[in-house]
Amino acid sequence: MPEAPLLAPPVVLAPKRTRRRLPLLAIFALSWLALMLATALLADVIAPYAYTALDLRARLAPPIGFGGDLRHLLGTDELGRDVLARLIYSIRTSLLIAFGATLIGAAIGTSLGLLAAHFRGLVEQAVLALVDFSASLPFLILALSVLAFFGNSLGLFVALLGLHAWERYARIARGLAIGANAQGYAAAVRQLGATPWRIYGQHILPNIASTLIVSMTLAFPEIILLESGLSFLGLGVQPPETSLGSMVGYGREYLTRAPWILLAPASVIVITTFCVSALGDWLRDRLDPTLN
Amino acid sequence: MLRFLASRLFRAALTIAMVVTFAFIVLRLSGDPAQIIMGADAPPEAVVAFRAAWGLDDPLWQQYFRYFAAILNGDLGRSMRDGRDAIDLVAERIPATLALTIPALFIKLALGIPAGVVAALHRNSFIDRAVMALAVAGFTVPSFVLGLLLVLVFAVQLGWLPSGGQESWRHAILPVITLGVGGAAVLARFTRSAMLEVLGQSYIRTASAKGVPWGAVVRNHALPNAAIPTVTIVGFMVGSLIAGAVVVESVFSWPGVGRLLVVAVANRDLAVVQCILLLVAATMVVSNLVVDLLYGVLDPRLRAAPQGAH
Amino acid sequence: MSALLEARDLVRRYWMRRGAFGRATEVRALDGVSLTLERGRTLGLVGESGCGKSTTGRLVLGLETPDGGQVAFEGTPMPPPGSRAWRAQRARLQMVFQDPLGALDRRLTIGSQVAEPLLIHGRPAGAAEVAALLTEVGLREDHGQRYPHQLSGGQRQRAVLARALATSPDLLVCDEPISALDVSIQAQVMNLLMELQARRGMAMLFISHDLRAVRQVSDRVAVMYLGRIVEEGAPDDVLREPAHPYARALVSALPHPGRRGQRILLSGDPPNPADRPTGCAFHPRCADAVARCRLEAPALRPHADGRLVACHLAHAPAPQFVEMGAA
Repeated sequence: MPEAPLLAPPVVLAPKRTRRRLPLLAIFALSWLALMLATALLADVIAPYAYTALDLRARLAPPIGFGGDLRHLLGTDELGRDVLARLIYSIRTSLLIAFGATLIGAAIGTSLGLLAAHFRGLVEQAVLALVDFSASLPFLILALSVLAFFGNSLGLFVALLGLHAWERYARIARGLAIGANAQGYAAAVRQLGATPWRIYGQHILPNIASTLIVSMTLAFPEIILLESGLSFLGLGVQPPETSLGSMVGYGREYLTRAPWILLAPASVIVITTFCVSALGDWLRDRLDPTLN
Repeated sequence: MLRFLASRLFRAALTIAMVVTFAFIVLRLSGDPAQIIMGADAPPEAVVAFRAAWGLDDPLWQQYFRYFAAILNGDLGRSMRDGRDAIDLVAERIPATLALTIPALFIKLALGIPAGVVAALHRNSFIDRAVMALAVAGFTVPSFVLGLLLVLVFAVQLGWLPSGGQESWRHAILPVITLGVGGAAVLARFTRSAMLEVLGQSYIRTASAKGVPWGAVVRNHALPNAAIPTVTIVGFMVGSLIAGAVVVESVFSWPGVGRLLVVAVANRDLAVVQCILLLVAATMVVSNLVVDLLYGVLDPRLRAAPQGAH
Repeated sequence: MSALLEARDLVRRYWMRRGAFGRATEVRALDGVSLTLERGRTLGLVGESGCGKSTTGRLVLGLETPDGGQVAFEGTPMPPPGSRAWRAQRARLQMVFQDPLGALDRRLTIGSQVAEPLLIHGRPAGAAEVAALLTEVGLREDHGQRYPHQLSGGQRQRAVLARALATSPDLLVCDEPISALDVSIQAQVMNLLMELQARRGMAMLFISHDLRAVRQVSDRVAVMYLGRIVEEGAPDDVLREPAHPYARALVSALPHPGRRGQRILLSGDPPNPADRPTGCAFHPRCADAVARCRLEAPALRPHADGRLVACHLAHAPAPQFVEMGAA
C-alpha cells in the first residue's frame, strides 16, 4: 500500500506574523466569492422577480445593451422568465449544493481516514480498498449509475456529490494521524491517559485542519463543475428548481436566438471555479507547502 | 517480475469484483427489482410470480452468487426499452465514441506534454505563464460550456461547421477539439509540475554540474524520470476513452456510449447502465494494469526481479 | 521491600516483510529482558541505537504489550493498553521524550498543555497549579502563555517535564531526554532531573546512549546489546571495570584524559536485529570470542561483586580477560 507522503506536520501560523500584501488575484477572487455568497444569502431580497414568474409579453427579450430594457437587465428566456432572477436563484442552489457536498465529503473522508489510523488492521485495509475502488473509476460514471438506480432527489444528489473526493481526505487524514500517533504530540497525549475522543477531537483534528481546508478549496470547484455538468445533462437539479448547470442546459435550446440565457450562467460557473481554484492555490502556498 | 504481474492481476480482478458487488448492492438498495422491472402498475400476482421465477425470495447470498455467475457468463440483461441485449446496444455505440476520443487523445498528448515540458524548462518565462494561464482556463471552463461556445462561434456565427450529429468527419471536428483542448490543459499542468520536481532533484544538478550539456541532461535524465508520473495520468485518460465523452457527446448529439448512458440513466434503463458501468470499470482496470507494467519498464526499482543492483 | 515495577523476560517481536510478497522475517527487538525498578531509585539503560532501549521503555510503561514475559506494577500486571484502567494508571507512570518539540502540540500554549493531564485525570487544573508546576521545572509563569515554537529547546524539555510531573507519577521514564539538546543545556536538564527526583522521590528509568549521563543520575546501570541486557551493576563498578567485552568497548570510547589503555574499536557489522548472530549476539564483533560464544548464548549471571554479566568469558578466571582488555 502506498503510504501518503504527507507525514510532515502542517505548518501552523504563528499568532503574530508580518502580513504580506494580498496579491491582486486573491483580492479579486475574494471579492467575487463574497459577491456570490451575498447573492446566495440575499437571493429573496435582491431578485427582481420570482424565478418562476412569467412575463409572456417579453419572451426571449435581450439583455440591456443588446436591445433590451431596464425591466429585464439580463433579458428573459423562452417563457419570459427573468434571466437575472433565475441566475440569482441558480447561484444559491449551486453554492448550497457545492457547500453541502464539500462538507459531506470532508466529513466522511476524514472520519474514515481517522478510523483507519486508529484501528489499523482490518479496518484500515477495508478503508484503503474503498479508496482504491473510488480512485479507479471516473466519478461521473459512478454518479450517473447511482442516479439511474435510485432516481433523483435533491438530498440524494447532494449526498452523491459529497462522495466526490472523499478518498483524498481519507488519505490525508490517515497519513497525518498515523504520523502523529507514531511519534508526535498525539502519542504524548495518549500516554497522558487521554481518551481517543480527546486525542482526535482536541489535538489531531485541529492540527490537520489547515491541510483539510486546503483540500476542500480544491474539491469545491470540482463539485461545482460536477453539479453543473450533471444538471446540464438533465440528471441533476430538476425543474422547477434551477441551478447554473440546468440553466445552461435549457438555454442550449435557444443558443441561436437567445444566447444570453446560456452565457450568463456559463460565465458565472467559469468565474466562480476560477476564483475558488486561484484562492485554493494561494491558500495552499501560504498554509501548507507539503500539499502538492 | 512474475510475482509483480500476479499481484497486479489479482488487484485488477479484485477491483472488477468490487464493481460488480457495488452494482449488486446498489441494485438491491434501490428497491424491489420485481416492482422496478414490472413497473408500478403491475398486478400484485404478476409481481409475486416474477419474484419466484427470478429467485428473488432466495437468501441474498444465493442471489449474489447467481448474479456474479451470470455476469461472468456475459449475461448482462436486456434493455427495458426495446428488449435487446444490453451488451449489444452498448457494443454498437463503441466505435462512435472511439471516433471522438482517440483523435482527442492524440491532441491531448501532442499539445499537453510538449507544452508542459517547455513551460517547465522556461520556468517563469512568458511561455510558462501563457501555458499555465491556458491550463487554468482549461480546468475552469467545463466541457459543455467550451463545446457550446465553439458551436456559437463556428456553427452559429460563422457557419463553418455543423453543430451536431454524426453525418461526416466535419461533424467530429468540434467535439474532438472540445475534448482535446480540455484534456491537453490538464496534461500540460501535470507534466509541468512533474518536470519541475525532477529538475529540482540533485542528480540533475550533479549531471549539469559535471559538464553534461543541458540538452543531454534533459533528454537522458529529466524526461525519463518525469515520464513516470505522467504515464499515470495518460493511463487514466486511456482508461476513460469510453467514459470520457459523456458530456461532450450530449452537447453535440453524438450517438456514442456516453449519450447512451445519459439516456439510459434518464429512463432508468438499469441493464444498460450496469453494462456501461462494467465496461468502463474493465477498461479502467486494464489500462491501470498496463500503466503498472509500464512503470516496471520505466522505473527499474519497481522491478522485483533480482537482476543485480546498479 | 517489594519493587515498584518488575519486568520479567520481556520479548518483543516485529515482523518485517521484504518486498510486497516476500516472506516475513521475525525481528526480535527484545529477547528476554528482566529488570526491577525500586521506589525512588534510578535505573540507567545504555546501548547503541536499535538495541531495544526505547522498546524496553515503552513496555515498562505499558504503552505496548510484550509478546512474552510480563510487567508488573506494584505486583499487579499491566492493564491492556487503551482500557479504562490503563488510562487511569497513566497518572502514575509518565514519560519524557527525546524530541520535546514533537511531543508538544504546536497549536496550544504551554500552560494549557501542562494543565492537560490534570484535566484528564479530573484534578484541579487552575492557573495556580500550572504556575506551581512551571516554577518547579525552572520556567517562569508567563512561559505558560507561549507556544512551543517560542521556547528554546531546553525550555521545551522543561515544559514536557512539567506536564509529566503534573499528576505526581511514581515512575518517570526518560527516553534520551537530553540527546536532542545543546550540550550547554544538557547539564542543566540533568541537574533538574536529579533535583526533582530527590524532591519528589519518584523512580526513574533513564534511557540514553550517553554513558556519562547515565552514570550521573543512576543508582544502577544496565547495558543492552541487541535486545538483551549484557551487564548490570552499580554505575561505578560498570564504568571503572566493565566485565562484558561490549561494555568495555563502550567505556573505552569515553574521552578520559588520565586513563591508561587505548580505545577498543569495534570491528564487524553494526548489530542488526533482523539478522541476529547465533550464540552470543556480540561474538562477531568480540575480540575475545571463543568457539563456545558462537554456539551458546550466555545467561545473565551474578558476577563476583554482585553485578550481573552475560558473557562466557567474564565468568572465567579474572586475569585472563584483563590482559585482553586492550585489543
